[in-house]
Amino acid sequence: MSINRDFFTIDQVGYSFSGGDKILSGIDWHIPSGSFHCLVGRSGCGKTTLLKLAAGLLLPSEGQIHIEAAPVAGPSQKIGFVFQNPALLDWLSVMDNVLLPISLHRKVNETDRQSAHELLHLVGIADLADRFPAQLSGGQQSRTALARALITSPPALLMDEPFAALDAITREELQDDLLDLVASRDTTVLFVTHDIAEAVYLGDRVAMMDKGRISLNIEIDIQRPRSAACRYGKQFSDICQTIRSAMSRQVVK
Amino acid sequence: MIRHRLLSILLLLMLLFGWEWVVRATNLSALVVPPPSDVASALWNGLISGYLWPHIWITGATTLLGFLLGCFIGFASGVVLAECEPLRKIVWPYILAMQVVPKLALAPIFIIWFGFGMKPTVVITALICFFPLLENTMTGLQEVSAEKRQLFRMLGANRWQTLIRLKIPSGLPVIMAGVRVAIVLALVGAVVGEFITGRDGLGASIIAAQGMMDSTLIFALLIIITSIGLLFYQLTLIFERWLLRRWSKGKIV
Ligand SMILES: Nc1ncnc2c1ncn2[C@@H]1O[C@H](COP(=O)(O)OP(=O)(O)OP(=O)(O)O)[C@@H](O)[C@H]1O
Ligand SMILES: [Mg+2]
Repeated sequence: MSINRDFFTIDQVGYSFSGGDKILSGIDWHIPSGSFHCLVGRSGCGKTTLLKLAAGLLLPSEGQIHIEAAPVAGPSQKIGFVFQNPALLDWLSVMDNVLLPISLHRKVNETDRQSAHELLHLVGIADLADRFPAQLSGGQQSRTALARALITSPPALLMDEPFAALDAITREELQDDLLDLVASRDTTVLFVTHDIAEAVYLGDRVAMMDKGRISLNIEIDIQRPRSAACRYGKQFSDICQTIRSAMSRQVVK
Repeated sequence: MIRHRLLSILLLLMLLFGWEWVVRATNLSALVVPPPSDVASALWNGLISGYLWPHIWITGATTLLGFLLGCFIGFASGVVLAECEPLRKIVWPYILAMQVVPKLALAPIFIIWFGFGMKPTVVITALICFFPLLENTMTGLQEVSAEKRQLFRMLGANRWQTLIRLKIPSGLPVIMAGVRVAIVLALVGAVVGEFITGRDGLGASIIAAQGMMDSTLIFALLIIITSIGLLFYQLTLIFERWLLRRWSKGKIV
């Protein structure tokens, strides 16, 4: 498969909840396989809705969405989804929560446990494997949810503000871990965040959504692999500034 | 904790002594209010002579049988109605109507159908236990958050898996609350049912004792019924704690 083939193809997509106003309109977006795209936008502009459309959880009212050239008719197994709320099952331990995507379909074996452990280690909560969700902090819960999305090594990840509940340092560590992981697995990612710096640091492209439309979609040509140093470069802050001012222009309107 | 226990035992003793004293001092007829000492000896004699045991067994068995039957059917119907919306809309008015019918008022018809003895009482008890289970099961299953449902759709879970692995476990605390209500109602149902239908059982014994104007025996029987009620309630509570042990992990009580 060539690197340039699109994983997600979103064409002229519009969406409205049954009988309601239009939430999204005229969305055009192509996400090539193996690339990392970010979506920023103010609260309530429709980011989560777009992500659910891409996942097949919602079906577009207008336009079409294709995943690897096949039209989307429902949730696809090729996608790992990280919800805005961690959505952990209270009655399962952290380990069992992470293994849920596997245990739903077949018996969990030792190899699965091993890889679950590695993922928990990666997100920094290996020592909490036997705890229950109610015994975790908010950030530990979202890290569990992240590990759960990664356990099946899906070809694509849709992530809805996965790091919102974390402190700055942990967040930066996890951003680097995510970039490494995604690069090694050649995963396609669509990442929603409201943190502009995070989007610029992670993304090959950053799109901005304004009241249900994509109002800006720019390429981030900062060299990879990216490191903490580039967060303080001139190029980095210029790009952030561009997006920021575009976003604050929305407010004036 | 221990101090409170001691105080509540002390309270009981004081009440019993006060009662004894008032009855003796005022020379009240034992027909109206028997002194506790008489009640205690009637209770003792009944247990020692073996006269009370068959009745205890019958009422206990009726309660348990009706309770299990009612809980099982209530739970199963709750699951079916929660899963099948059209059916729920069709039968709901009738369920509501059945719920407001005083179940004990149906006893005469049950006697015609099932004859005297245990059967009609078991049916009444089951009917009484049916509704809390039905209602709590339906509420419990429908309370699952939208994101957890979407998670299961994303993970490719089928309807059965979603029911068994998500909806029933998340509804279990609510369902168990229904079970706790049902066990209390079950004993009331069995005893009052025996008033009407039974020749045996503690309820029927109360009616028989009333016929002989034996208030002392009535009080003794009430003590036994209360003890059975407390025993069943505690057993249910222990079972619930055991069943929900994973749910309560880390919850601040
Ligand atoms: N089930 C629903 N029915 C009707 N309207 C909805 C529903 N869910 C969301 N909306 C509306 O759709 C709009 C977009 O919601 P969405 O969740 O996509 O926003 P968002 O960009 O993810 O916001 P946030 O950053 O706060 O998560 C909001 O105005 C919201 O009120
Ligand atoms: Mg959102």
